[in-house]
Amino acid sequence: MTVNFVLNGKAVSLVIAANRRLIDMLRDSLGLTGTKEGCGIGECGACTVLMNGEAVNSCLILAGQVEGAEIVTIEAIAKHGTLHPVQENFLQYGAVQCGFCTPGMVLSTYALLQTNPQPSEHEIAAAISGNLCRCTGYKQILEAVQKTVEEMNSAPSEHGRS
Amino acid sequence: MIPQIEFVRPKTLHDALSILAESGDGARVIAGGTDVIPGFQQGDLRLKSARTLVDIHHLPELKNVETRDGGLAIGAGITFTDLAKHPIIAAEYPLLKQAALTVGNVQIRNRATLAGNFVNNAACADSVPPLLVYNAVLRIQSHTSVRETPLSDFLLSPNQVQLNAGELVTNIFLPKLSASHSGEFYKLGRRRGTAISRITLAVLLKVTENRIEDLRIASGAVTPIGMRFIDLEKVALGKTIDKSFLKSLANELGEHVLSKTGIRWSTPYKLPVLQQMFFQLLCRVRGCSGEAIR
Repeated sequence: MTVNFVLNGKAVSLVIAANRRLIDMLRDSLGLTGTKEGCGIGECGACTVLMNGEAVNSCLILAGQVEGAEIVTIEAIAKHGTLHPVQENFLQYGAVQCGFCTPGMVLSTYALLQTNPQPSEHEIAAAISGNLCRCTGYKQILEAVQKTVEEMNSAPSEHGRS
Repeated sequence: MIPQIEFVRPKTLHDALSILAESGDGARVIAGGTDVIPGFQQGDLRLKSARTLVDIHHLPELKNVETRDGGLAIGAGITFTDLAKHPIIAAEYPLLKQAALTVGNVQIRNRATLAGNFVNNAACADSVPPLLVYNAVLRIQSHTSVRETPLSDFLLSPNQVQLNAGELVTNIFLPKLSASHSGEFYKLGRRRGTAISRITLAVLLKVTENRIEDLRIASGAVTPIGMRFIDLEKVALGKTIDKSFLKSLANELGEHVLSKTGIRWSTPYKLPVLQQMFFQLLCRVRGCSGEAIR
């Protein structure tokens, strides 16, 4: 079957077997290996990408269901070689250890900030409750997101990109 | 591993129903995929004979929410994210919103659909206790028929529902509720996020001059399927509502649940938790603090 969608701002058309998933298209067909596969059943969030602006598990979406959708992966979060503030702060605050959960964490956080620029600690925790991290214990991740929120609200023009 | 399978994406509900009628036993419906895909990965027997997946997730006919006969008709394919955001659901049927927000996690709620939650009749379906206390009625369509069935009749036994080949749940109707009804929902899982329910409970209460005029109780996860406790509800009718009566009702709920499940390894933990929850929920509905039952 042929699937047409927009990936990181560019139109893509792929011929692919019907039993392949979004994550397979990204990693195997398109070579975008920033998206990780953990559990494969929607519990760990390592495979999180944005679909039409919402965080979704790419392991739970069949290739054919992506037809016409807009997909954003971790590869498009840094712009022109500059990390997004969320990514910067993940590094700054030690929110990355093994790094396997990081792309998913960043995208869940990114999706949250798109709709809620001033989330409370509880709202941040709820937004990443579908992303497991077995290294950091989440404290550093929360700190990194909170710092990003502070920065974005004190200097909206500087980081006000989409 | 997902087997070699045919995938079809009909453009309209009408086309979807035609395909379901033609494909017979080998057809399975997929919407958000949060149940079907893990089902394939874990070798779920329900999917063993699947040859064709019919995708209904994008059909606009299944996303509508509209007022009808004073109640609310909710498209079966609404995601839990959209359900939780809907202003009428939040205002009129808040237990459903509460339950929606406990389903899975953000990524799951962005894909998982309301009907997808209960069409397999898993005991742990979080939407079921609220839908049951709201007396939800399902609209079920096939290529040639339309029928309406209360959710309580639709849910037959674990993993069994009243749905024939070629049929699709297309709409969930919640009848109008009096403004003096008020309720609570509670979910207990092993953790707060991404948890399969261990106990869910919904209560809906209407009290006039301190007497119970209407009480509706529904459980999930702790009973073999989500269910109402009609006998217990009848016991409460007309009774003066005070803490001692609520305590006796909580104890009786425990007896009812035990009669459905028998004693299990988890009973010494779950039964007192359920009774305590029930008592606390009713106290909360009444706006009084509920100290622990002793």
